[in-house]
Amino acid sequence: MTRSRRARVVSLSSAIIMMTGAGALVACSPESGDAGGEQELTVLFNQSHEGASEWLAAEYEKKTGVKINPVLSPYDEIASNLTLDQQSGANTIDVAAPWYVSLGDLAADGTIQDLTDWVDETPELDVDDFIPSIWEPYSTLDGKVYGIPFDGDTHVLFYNKEILERNGFTTPPATWDEYREQAATITANESADGIYGASVFGQQSPLILGASFANRLAGFGGSFLDDGGAPALDIPEAIQAAQALVDINDVALPTPAETDFGAGNSAWFAGKVAFIENWTDLGVQTESESTASPVAGKWGVTLLPVGEEGQEPRASLVAGFSWVIAANTDKRELAEDFIQFAASSEANGALLTAEPPTGIDPSRLSTLEDATYGEKFPEIQEVNRATLSDALAWPTGKNSTQAAQVLTDELAALIAGTGGTAEETMQRVQEQWETLLGDD
Amino acid sequence: MTELERTRGRGAARWVRRGFVAPTVLVTVILGLYPLVFIVGASVTRSSLGKPFQEFVGLAQIVAAATDTSVLGALLRGVVYALIVAAASTFLGTVTALALWRSALSGSASRVVLLLPLALPPVVVGVLWRLIFTPNGGLIDAVRRVVAPGSDPIAFLSDPVLAIVGIAVADIWEWAPLVTILVFAALLGIDRETMEAAALDGAHGLRLLRDIAVPAVAGTIAAAFVIRLVLALKIFDLVDVMTKGGPGDASSVPAWLVWKAAIEQFDVGRGAAITLLLALVVTIITLPPILIARRSHG
Repeated sequence: MTRSRRARVVSLSSAIIMMTGAGALVACSPESGDAGGEQELTVLFNQSHEGASEWLAAEYEKKTGVKINPVLSPYDEIASNLTLDQQSGANTIDVAAPWYVSLGDLAADGTIQDLTDWVDETPELDVDDFIPSIWEPYSTLDGKVYGIPFDGDTHVLFYNKEILERNGFTTPPATWDEYREQAATITANESADGIYGASVFGQQSPLILGASFANRLAGFGGSFLDDGGAPALDIPEAIQAAQALVDINDVALPTPAETDFGAGNSAWFAGKVAFIENWTDLGVQTESESTASPVAGKWGVTLLPVGEEGQEPRASLVAGFSWVIAANTDKRELAEDFIQFAASSEANGALLTAEPPTGIDPSRLSTLEDATYGEKFPEIQEVNRATLSDALAWPTGKNSTQAAQVLTDELAALIAGTGGTAEETMQRVQEQWETLLGDD
Repeated sequence: MTELERTRGRGAARWVRRGFVAPTVLVTVILGLYPLVFIVGASVTRSSLGKPFQEFVGLAQIVAAATDTSVLGALLRGVVYALIVAAASTFLGTVTALALWRSALSGSASRVVLLLPLALPPVVVGVLWRLIFTPNGGLIDAVRRVVAPGSDPIAFLSDPVLAIVGIAVADIWEWAPLVTILVFAALLGIDRETMEAAALDGAHGLRLLRDIAVPAVAGTIAAAFVIRLVLALKIFDLVDVMTKGGPGDASSVPAWLVWKAAIEQFDVGRGAAITLLLALVVTIITLPPILIARRSHG
């Protein structure tokens, strides 16, 4: 054996010995995650559901003795974090509550479990009590159940009564044209004092800018997909919706492209904007002592505007979340039990009015008509009933996450003035959606 | 001790040294090789986030990425951005280092202040500058209200041109101090007698800096430029926090596009293909400055 070859053999042997030693040390260490037989469940939550995660963890432990470890993630990274956790073999997550639009991608990647048999065999889940327009998109893919609704999340229009009165408006807008006119007037009158007509969520994220588009698409009577399930974003209603976003840009809180939930909600709580399209729980938060908002008691809420007078308003399910079970968890039964509790009428009802606010909206018929909810927030309960009839939902099949991002990127370019006309923009989106959603 | 025993002793000592170094070398090779193999593998297969390496597709994804206008736009934007930001950082960092070196302010206090941006996590830097640029109540907006009341707010981060300029400002603010520290350390190493001799020969002020100090640390400046160039080509955090690649794709740079494809859109195959293209571009762009830096050191 030559000297260099001997040196290589010695080097390799040393490395193997050291790595084996390290492995042995790891193997000798006590197993983590099982504290003396105590049952635990790790649940991945949306960051804005922190309050709900604390309530659920405390109540579930009180009820069963099982410890819930909440893991918080930004709303648009839950699906990718869950996938990476499962694909890498870390398998630290047992249950998650991703945006319902990502269900198709999660199922296609084998990241979440099929819940069909469990749902069929568990009458306690009371599936018929879920609001029908929410149940279908939040749970079902190609006839199989992968998710259980957690947070209903429909957008409505909140308005600041004082600002409207100051500017001579006695009623909130019924159409998107009226909405722009009122917002323009208010901005012209009061922007020098830092008060604007509207706070429009326009940051380049599907859950933010995509939500603002979905609100207008619902109002103008459009849908993401036609009755046959094919993309329908080059129709006049979709083009009108995109144009309405462009039109509000100049008179909204500067500037929609930089307005995310934090910036938009802060302006609302501070009384700096007359209108904000938001989830119904914004009213609960505005009244909460935790926000100390000067707008408390001075706001109203109504259904989203429509395209033309007399048109039927339609709820827009922009950002709901569903419970899913991670593919590689070895705690399936415990995960099912937790979801049964967390998605129950009892839990959903309590979360609606919990203090501090939890950011949860009704997902069940029974909680929509909850007595405490109706007593404390009758106006919000009323507008939430819009979900009882038809509601606009995003597509949820494979590649839907990417489709939502494509739409968002094109809309952002349109608003920035680099995407051509609304018609050209929606035509490009249509072509890309046909490719993406046409894939197997 | 015979010559043979001495030789054996030296050989044994060499093996022991190699033995101690071997684990580090092995770990480095594994850490470097595994991601490379994974990226190449993912780029030639249909790969999603949850299911990599599903089906061999050859060069289809790489060709698709190389002919995709959004990818080419991001690569071009990334290169132009990196060259400008690296040049600006190097210039400002060098000027600051020379000023510190020649001034009484070269004490530890000023160096600590200069290091502060470096010590901040990039995400914090992004949030900080996003607040500064906010058109409704940000620092710049507050100045505008005082200087030009009644004027329209300036929306830096939602303007297709100004958005990437805003990111560049934050990037330069964060990393120019690195250049300052490197160049300042090199300046401290200049032989005092050389400086005194130059001064005796009539070199003072700017001429002393231009003809003596800067050439003496040219190698370090070139190396700092290369480091800064690579950092700028990899920019991600500031883009994510400040603009999300927008408005539209106005501030979309390669690293952001890779993240978006692989993590947001679950398309790891496309993400890997863009990564390979980025690696190629980085190699081409950084090679000339590296050669210049080597020559300067030589």
